[in-house]
Amino acid sequence: MDGRVIVITSGKGGVGKTTTNANIGTALAKEGKKVVMIDTDLGLRNLDLLLGLENRIVYTIVDVVEERCKLKQALVKDKKNPNLCLLAAAQTRDKTAVTEEQLKDICEQLKKDFDFILVDCPAGIEQGFQNAVAGASEAIVVTTPEMSAVRDADRIIGLLEAKEEIKSYKLLLNRVRPNLIKSNDMMSVDDVVEILSAELIGIIPEDTGIITSTNKGEPIVNDEKSLAGKAYKNVARRIIGDDVPFLNLEEDTSFVGKMKKFFSGLMGKEK
Amino acid sequence: MKEIFTGLYNKVIGFFKQTEPEANAKDIACNRLRVVLMQDRTNLTPELMERMRKELVELLSKYVEMDKEALELNLEQDGDQMALMLSIPVLRAKDEAEIEQAIAQEKAESDAETQENVEESDSVQDDDKNNNAHKCEDYDVECAECNECEISDDVECEIKKKKKANKNTEKTEKEDQE
Repeated sequence: MDGRVIVITSGKGGVGKTTTNANIGTALAKEGKKVVMIDTDLGLRNLDLLLGLENRIVYTIVDVVEERCKLKQALVKDKKNPNLCLLAAAQTRDKTAVTEEQLKDICEQLKKDFDFILVDCPAGIEQGFQNAVAGASEAIVVTTPEMSAVRDADRIIGLLEAKEEIKSYKLLLNRVRPNLIKSNDMMSVDDVVEILSAELIGIIPEDTGIITSTNKGEPIVNDEKSLAGKAYKNVARRIIGDDVPFLNLEEDTSFVGKMKKFFSGLMGKEK
Repeated sequence: MKEIFTGLYNKVIGFFKQTEPEANAKDIACNRLRVVLMQDRTNLTPELMERMRKELVELLSKYVEMDKEALELNLEQDGDQMALMLSIPVLRAKDEAEIEQAIAQEKAESDAETQENVEESDSVQDDDKNNNAHKCEDYDVECAECNECEISDDVECEIKKKKKANKNTEKTEKEDQE
């Protein structure tokens, strides 16, 4: 097996890197792929929480690097899906505990047994970012339609372009709010894509369900009704290579909108 | 429900006010971002931009009288290309005589400057006579043969001077012998 190593990065913190990682990982595993997620945010680990695996972690990536355990021993299996594994970050150490070379080596080893290796990158552009990117050949840049996030994404794209190992990068636009876009209060998807001139791999709508899913330790892709979950599932399918159209978020979901649609449907005017 | 009411309220207020529509938040964000990213992507620091601005003011004020404070110099995106936009409020175009005068004045100034530089490098040469490589003030380069100085005739460098001096002494010596 020759797995694909994808780093999920953003520059700015709080735009949803870890959420994206947990959901894409889970969705890929649901598609029957063997997936391992590596949390490289040493000292500020959170991926375990989003997956609800915080109580199962025995060994971390630092233990692997410092040879206190074998790599396979440190992989924590997901509760539901045996195709999904997590290599957790150490909470008590800092970014210097693992080097670029060591991460590259871990990725190389995992490539043999997994289809996808998703690397969760810490915020910032310092050593933590350099480490996370070291072993990857693809990148997903997460951003939101806010100025600061877009600016940081532009910086990250610049850094990724300078890296020879990164063969391709794609943009994932998170926390999109169709209502605000409609009223011209927020940059639209097209605006962000045009400004960053990057290829889009996903548009995730803002969804309060993310908060509850994080609280439960259950990625939102497991919720069949959630729109954000559906969007994440589509991202996973696009990663695999399927041609999936982007969700139409512009659709009016308010009561008035639904009534309008109902009546225009009766009149046979529905587009 | 709240949204509907606020929307309705805004519409009613807007109807009575009849003001010009303001630029929306989205467009403001896009435009601000474009400018910021332009600066981020180039290596031109604010200091360098300021220096460029000053030099442009200096150059252009020879030809036109302008509002120096209101001069604007910005990098802007024009499709795929980056453009340097310069906006100069011109108060008055100078006439030919004034322009000639300004240019003459500048020339005199630069001549005086090179004179100073030559004098300066003279003293340097005195300190370190064996060292052929010297600093050419006009080009800020260290050169052994000083090609730079030979290119421009109005700058006379140490080596040239020395060579001339040597030739002169040789000539006089020859004349003496004769």
